Amino acid sequence: MSRPSLPFRFSSVPPPDPQTASSRLAPVDMSTATMLSGGRELSQPPSDGISNLRFSSHSDLLLVSSWDRTIRLYDVGENTLKAEFVHAGPVLDCCFHDDSSGFSAGADHSVRRHIFGSGKEDILGHHDAPVRCVEYSYAAGQVITGSWDKTLKCWDPRGANSSDRALIGTYVQPERVYSLSLVGYRLVVATAGRHVNVYDLRNMSQPEQRRESSLKYQTRCVRCYPNGTGRVAMEFFDLSEAAQAKKYAFKCHRKSEAGRDTVYPVNAMAFHPIYGTFATGGCDGYVNYSKYPTSIAALSFNRDGRLLAVASSYTFEEGEIPHEPDAIFVRNVNEVEVKPKPKALPGPPP
Amino acid sequence: MAHVSTDQLLQLETTCGSFLYELQIIWDEVGETDTERDKMLLELEQECLEVYRRKVDQANRYRAQLRQTIADSEAELAAICSAMGEPPVHTKQPTQRVGNLKEELNSITPQLEEMRKRKGERLKQFLEVMEQIRNISVEVMPSEYSPSRHVDESDLSIRKLEELYRQLESLQKEKNDRLKQIMDHLSTLNELCSVLGVAFKETVREIHPTLDDTEASKSISNVTIERLATAIGRLREIKIERMQKLQDLASTMLELWNLMDTPIEEQQLFQNVTCNIAASEEEITESNTLSVDFLSYVEEEVLRLEQLKVSKMKELVLKKKTELEELRRQGHLVVEEAENEPEVAISAIESGAIDASFVLNQIEGQIAEVKEEAFSRKDILERVEKWLAACEEEAWLEEYNRDENRYNAGRGAHLTLKRAEKARALINKIPGMVDTLVAKITQWEKERGIGFTYDGVRLLTMLGEYTIVRQEKEQERKRQRDQKKLQGQLIAEQEALYGSKPSPSKPQSAKKVPRTSTGGSNRRLSFGGAATLQTPKPDYMHSAKSTRTAKKLDDLGTLSPGSRGLDIAGLPVKKLSYNDAITKHQEVGMPRKPFASLIPVNTIPSAPSMPVIASTLEENQAPNTMLLLTPKNPATAAAVPMHVASTPAPTCLVNDGKLSVVASVEETEYSFEERRLAFYVGGR
Repeated sequence: MSRPSLPFRFSSVPPPDPQTASSRLAPVDMSTATMLSGGRELSQPPSDGISNLRFSSHSDLLLVSSWDRTIRLYDVGENTLKAEFVHAGPVLDCCFHDDSSGFSAGADHSVRRHIFGSGKEDILGHHDAPVRCVEYSYAAGQVITGSWDKTLKCWDPRGANSSDRALIGTYVQPERVYSLSLVGYRLVVATAGRHVNVYDLRNMSQPEQRRESSLKYQTRCVRCYPNGTGRVAMEFFDLSEAAQAKKYAFKCHRKSEAGRDTVYPVNAMAFHPIYGTFATGGCDGYVNYSKYPTSIAALSFNRDGRLLAVASSYTFEEGEIPHEPDAIFVRNVNEVEVKPKPKALPGPPP
Repeated sequence: MAHVSTDQLLQLETTCGSFLYELQIIWDEVGETDTERDKMLLELEQECLEVYRRKVDQANRYRAQLRQTIADSEAELAAICSAMGEPPVHTKQPTQRVGNLKEELNSITPQLEEMRKRKGERLKQFLEVMEQIRNISVEVMPSEYSPSRHVDESDLSIRKLEELYRQLESLQKEKNDRLKQIMDHLSTLNELCSVLGVAFKETVREIHPTLDDTEASKSISNVTIERLATAIGRLREIKIERMQKLQDLASTMLELWNLMDTPIEEQQLFQNVTCNIAASEEEITESNTLSVDFLSYVEEEVLRLEQLKVSKMKELVLKKKTELEELRRQGHLVVEEAENEPEVAISAIESGAIDASFVLNQIEGQIAEVKEEAFSRKDILERVEKWLAACEEEAWLEEYNRDENRYNAGRGAHLTLKRAEKARALINKIPGMVDTLVAKITQWEKERGIGFTYDGVRLLTMLGEYTIVRQEKEQERKRQRDQKKLQGQLIAEQEALYGSKPSPSKPQSAKKVPRTSTGGSNRRLSFGGAATLQTPKPDYMHSAKSTRTAKKLDDLGTLSPGSRGLDIAGLPVKKLSYNDAITKHQEVGMPRKPFASLIPVNTIPSAPSMPVIASTLEENQAPNTMLLLTPKNPATAAAVPMHVASTPAPTCLVNDGKLSVVASVEETEYSFEERRLAFYVGGR
């Protein structure tokens, strides 16, 4: 049985690198070089930092979690706020279950389920520390949460509100969980201390692979490629030498001023659902050459990849300082920006 | 017959005589009277006369008829002859006529027959010719020609026939000419169509359906020719238009190739395009060279090349920019203009607002300027380097002098000793160096009327500061000497009192020495102090810049983001206890280390693999080395948000003498969110 070679990527907080200061060129980017507008801004944005936003995979509904203790549901097409839930503490992550319900991860240690239509909410259970991330696996029908209590928990959403009956299992991680990503049955967990574990959701007893991030510094965000066919990626699940040799990394979100390089943390990544190209957002406020008022906290493509939601929200990288108001921009994605660049010359016409 | 008739006449005469004799006999017998006899004889005579008259009349009529026939024949003959343009057969006059009427008629009849036959033949010829003429005329101008099948019989002369033949011939010639013209047109059209990639058959069929048919005769009318000519004109116009477009594309392509050194293999794919770059309209004959598909294919390639060019230009601009920056760095020139210039330029190039070559030229100009300036600064800079190197040695020596174990014979101790000796010699030269430098700089500044800056700091100021610090240090040294003397006295006193000698290495004065020395080293930062701190060269800038911020320590609001980041690093010190605040868990005690009064309390244990602790210990022992350690240890750096590492903020803390705080805060890795939550909880 051969393993599918599914690639995944990291982004991290890099330190300055004086050696490379003189050899630095433009950031590598897959988008074509066109100046683009930032898109339109959604009305009624959260009043504090945006921790995550996600498009539904069925419609243009957008779920947003925020430090202002709310979780909000927007209809992007109509630019309306459709639902809002208030938590006891900041909401650190959210995800859709389907178009009528979703899950959230709270700094109050709770994992909640929200029914958008009725405004009802259930508690799936609790961690021992703030819950940093939440994902829903359509393949396994489970909610997976990662927390700063150094554990990963899997939940069955059907058992909600019945004193941890929803809990399926708790899996100890080497460090505080910082980021999760899912593709099919595969789960990638990135923690503090640059640990990366790869699990198979069907066998959570132990990680399928244990790794160290190939980047030197703190892992901010890890995302899986939506499909793993033949694309050169930074890392591959496949442990064969051939696949591992294809790893690569590139520098982005950097700026050189007066001989000094400022290297911005990369906060967010989003894969285009059709082309497999991806966008990154960093503390410099740039997403593929478009400048936003402040850091990019989160990114999400809608189901057909024509819209990109950008959370322009200060990510606390410099502590509590005055900053631009938090905002959500939805921008139309030009196909040329996200289409992979053709490698071969077209043939002459007949 | 004449004989016969004469005989008959004779017989008739005898018969008549015999009849008369018989009559006389009868009469005699009858006894007719003479009167009666006379009467009978008269009657007889009269009847005879009547018969004669009738016969003569008859003969006369016949003669007249005969004459009429002859006259008619002659007239017809004459008419035919005249129609055929031939001289009349009979030239003789009726009076000279030979022979009688019948002979005449007999002689004329065959002639007439002959002439009629000839006339018929001629007529047939005429009809044939005219039919042909008509046919051709219809072909040539179908609308104009009104067909008359009638032949004018009055003129059937050879001349007329020849005339007709000539007409026919000219018509045939015209037809041939037209056919030739059409064929020419068709071949031109075919060529054009093939070059332009247009379907020839359809085009031709549109003009006239017969043209496409190879079997049937082609339409050769004026309208067709006109249409053909129009079609050719139209296609030629298109061809010229497309040719110009292709040539434009080809020249652009050549330019781009030239510009980008496109490999020959890639060029060969478009050889057939570029070979036409200077071709005239007639010279482009290869099929499909100007087809819409081909043009768009070429256009696509040009577009691709252009995009490539833009990206290459972008690269070039960045490269030049880097070169410029490198030159500036080498010349220690700091430019205060827009710092994100490359990004601005790049995005402008991408949007097409600025021509990349313009930006390039601009940068080239700047490079030339910087080179020129660097050249004028070279002499002074070399001296500055020497001076800085000397300062470095001075710092090292100071450090070395403080090392109480410096005379321990370890490995390489003799080398260090040698270095120290050299350093001492070098340090003695520093004042001289500084003086020359000041003189040189003053002259330079006088010549140019501008201040000589080094990494953005005025060099004269740096030198001035250095001199002041040096003087201060001298004073300090003097003070120390005095103190030592005092101590010596004290020891002597103690000895006198207790009879024992305390260890000379007792660090009673150590407390003071580090402070003064750190103070000193901090001040030294203000003149390219990074060198003093032995960090890699590119850090010059940072440190040099930092000095300015360091000077403004009290004014937190204007601190660089780096130092702000450091401030935040200090934040969790008090507030990373969000866990308790939210969930009311039991409070954890806050152990404090001496010196590190603000160590963060971690409910979240730090990563066990962090090698920072070891280095922290070292740092606590020798605070001054901390800055050397940080860049050397990537694991430490990993835990530090990049601002901390990239900015000179640590110098501020060195200044405060709270080095260990920094070190211990950085022991544990925290994400922004964890810090934020800590702040959030703290805020509430």
